Amino acid sequence: MNRLQKSAWFNLLLVTVAFPIASLGLFLMTRTNAKGIDYLIIFLVAGSLAGLGGYLLLRKKGFEAHFDEREKMIYNRALVLAMIALLAFLGCVCFIPFLVLGGGNSVRVLYLPVIYLSTLFVGQFVHSAAVLIQCSLEAEDEQ
Amino acid sequence: MSNNRVTNRIRRLRFENGEMTQQQLADKVGVTRQTIIAIEAGKYAPSLPLAFRIARTFGVKVEDVFQYENEDA
Repeated sequence: MNRLQKSAWFNLLLVTVAFPIASLGLFLMTRTNAKGIDYLIIFLVAGSLAGLGGYLLLRKKGFEAHFDEREKMIYNRALVLAMIALLAFLGCVCFIPFLVLGGGNSVRVLYLPVIYLSTLFVGQFVHSAAVLIQCSLEAEDEQ
Repeated sequence: MSNNRVTNRIRRLRFENGEMTQQQLADKVGVTRQTIIAIEAGKYAPSLPLAFRIARTFGVKVEDVFQYENEDA
């Protein structure tokens, strides 16, 4: 297993563990504290900015810095697939309620962080899965 | 429409250079063994810098390692 596959498995495991925990946290905060949702949104925004900033600053020192050019090609192809999946998911999440409920209805604010968390999960899941599938297809060709 | 394909003589050159393994070549040019396998099989066309590094490892010109086939249909 090369570095790219290890990083994909790590990300897949991380997002699979983090998503239920984040969902549970969101559920508990909205159940126990009416103001909890405010803090959670602040936490999500701060966490996202910190994550994005950290990624931009440290990515050259991380796994990606050690990828060779073919692995970077696989990584970038998976990134495109993840973006397509993310947009498709967001489209479904936003338009299906509109089509089912109609334009005159309202949706609870609670669903905004749920959509945000789900989008992060879908994006990372598809990216990791796309990397692993491409690597396994190449491994089959080698045999 | 044209059908472009890059072929190579890496496998032959490896054996002509002391039966160099794919891993040894990969280490010398700074890529993974999977990348060397993909290049040898013609499934991946390397970048120009990598092509030069491979050629220099064998002490030959790039054209002696890689051949460009252009079949105009």
